[in-house]
Amino acid sequence: MSTQHSKAAAAYLRDEAVVTRHDQTFFAVRQKRDRMAQALPEWEQLRETADQIKRHTATHLAQYLEQFEANATRNGVHVHWAADAAEYNSIVYDILRSHDVKKVVKSKSMLTEECHLNSSLEAKGIEVVETDLGERILQMMQLAPSHIVMPALHVHREDIGDCFRSKIADYDEIAKGYAAISPEPHDENDPTFLTYVARMHLRRQFMEAGAGMTGANFGVAATGDVVVCTNEGNADMSTSIPRLHIVSMGIEKLIPDLSSLAVFQRLLARCGTGQETTVYTSQFRGPRPGGEMHIILVDNGRSEILGNPEHWQTLKCMRCGACMNTCPVYRRSAGYSYTYFIPGPIGINLGMLRNPKTYSDNVSACSLCCSCDNVCPVRVDLSSQVYRWRQQLDSLGRADEMKKFMSGGMSLLFNHPLFYKLALRLSPLVNWLPSSLLNSRFNPWASGHKMMKFPKKSFHELWKKL
Amino acid sequence: MEETMSTKEAILSRLRSNTRETYDMPSLKALHAITYPDPVEEFKTKAQTVGGARLLEAKKGDDLNALICQIYSDAGIIASNLPGVEAQLNPDTVAQAQDLETADVGVIQGHIGVAENACVWIPQTMKERAVCFASQRLVILLSKENIVNNMHEAYARIEQSDEYFCDYKFGTFISGPSKTADIEGALVYGAQAARAVTIVLF
Repeated sequence: MSTQHSKAAAAYLRDEAVVTRHDQTFFAVRQKRDRMAQALPEWEQLRETADQIKRHTATHLAQYLEQFEANATRNGVHVHWAADAAEYNSIVYDILRSHDVKKVVKSKSMLTEECHLNSSLEAKGIEVVETDLGERILQMMQLAPSHIVMPALHVHREDIGDCFRSKIADYDEIAKGYAAISPEPHDENDPTFLTYVARMHLRRQFMEAGAGMTGANFGVAATGDVVVCTNEGNADMSTSIPRLHIVSMGIEKLIPDLSSLAVFQRLLARCGTGQETTVYTSQFRGPRPGGEMHIILVDNGRSEILGNPEHWQTLKCMRCGACMNTCPVYRRSAGYSYTYFIPGPIGINLGMLRNPKTYSDNVSACSLCCSCDNVCPVRVDLSSQVYRWRQQLDSLGRADEMKKFMSGGMSLLFNHPLFYKLALRLSPLVNWLPSSLLNSRFNPWASGHKMMKFPKKSFHELWKKL
Repeated sequence: MEETMSTKEAILSRLRSNTRETYDMPSLKALHAITYPDPVEEFKTKAQTVGGARLLEAKKGDDLNALICQIYSDAGIIASNLPGVEAQLNPDTVAQAQDLETADVGVIQGHIGVAENACVWIPQTMKERAVCFASQRLVILLSKENIVNNMHEAYARIEQSDEYFCDYKFGTFISGPSKTADIEGALVYGAQAARAVTIVLF
């Protein structure tokens, strides 16, 4: 029995050029992250502090949420609470409907993906425009994100060019405008040109939209502030032009104060994309003059995670994506091989916390190399958590039958020393079997590589002779 | 409203009952963040390498309008509410934020510069902050005296004094022009917001 992940990964691996490019692209980000870490002598101290602040906040979350709400309310912000995705979606819709909003511009938010906000609003006749370039490309191509920070890096420029030409109504006019400012001939799929096309297309959306939506990288309890980090400035365009601003924030995004914010601001971009900082780190304390600001605090399972002794530390995660960039399995199988919308080490764990029966296919997507644990800025024990999920597979009825059978056999062998010694003595005989049999599909030990050769002398024998 | 209250109470009570062991807030005093022998020099380097901004050093008393002309000689419409800047658009008096989209150059005041990452703190000191984002290009004025080593020092200032969170309830760190690498990882300046940024150090 293979998992959905291993089947999808096997299909993905057939195109070697695509895999290599994906692998190298994300490993380059990992290397940029390493250079950032090495440039700061206090790096490990910073991670340790971030870990401790998040542990503290997660275990005092109720009091910090109340403090946050009180401060935000005093600043003139409307604060809402949503227990689950359905309640969240209906709160957003009610706010938009009461302002008669037809079009919303929004910056990237994994929470809105988690709650399927876009399809929920579109079903009710509200146009939703993603404004992060990667997210906008995916939305136009009707694709899901393949990574939480760099969602469209797997899409090729030719396909993006085709998409823009067929879906952006005033493409020709924009292209003419580009020729006026950059008269030199260029490829029609040149990233600089395509980014210009998207810029002009999106600027129109910002002008027309009735509301701007953002996620929240951090919520600051002591001040009631919401902090949003982007490189493109799309969250700022979304909130400085339309008068209505709606923030969607998972309750675990809270941190105590501005001193803590410094710690996390320094880690987020360095870990996520290997930059010293995002271009914009914007701090929203209240509505604009003549505007309105709403914050929706979303639970959707988070309060239950806190009670899980083995997995509560996933609540520390700040969604930087570093664990994906370093993961050898993610890099070589890409986002769509995972069955949960967040891929990589953190996605495996969050999927299992969402629904272990539905998302258990992803726990095989880990070689237990532990690299993720070592890059995580808040020191979530990602690989240990994956290991623990695997121990529970049998009780979930999701264990691999073949592996169960083999474990039974090994248990028999290891519990009977005589039997074990005999098997060890006889094992080199297997080497004499014909390769066609040894390396056939009936031998799971020879899947993906050739069957090993059994050594003539066992380690025990060698050890005794030392 | 009734229902909202019950959702809130339910979430808070679940959190309280699911909290097992608790952890103390660490002291941040023990964290020795990086400092530089010359933060101003470090800021100048980082602004150009990390931020991708242009840097211009000016002397107190230099003619600001002549400087802006020199930086962006082809600028048509300038947007600013800073005293002494000759602007065609004023973010305090425009009818709506959308009007600022026509600005070629926005001129704004930075209050803190951060040496470690070239971030410049821009509190909203104008009615429509779109001037900071929708303008095609940006000129940020910054005094050398306001450059700090790192983000800890910057947020400490913001935390301690009202002057860094001014009249309006917003502030942003900007480190350079808007950029993206969403198409095949190729770095392109001028994604959604300002295409170019010049920091004028006084």
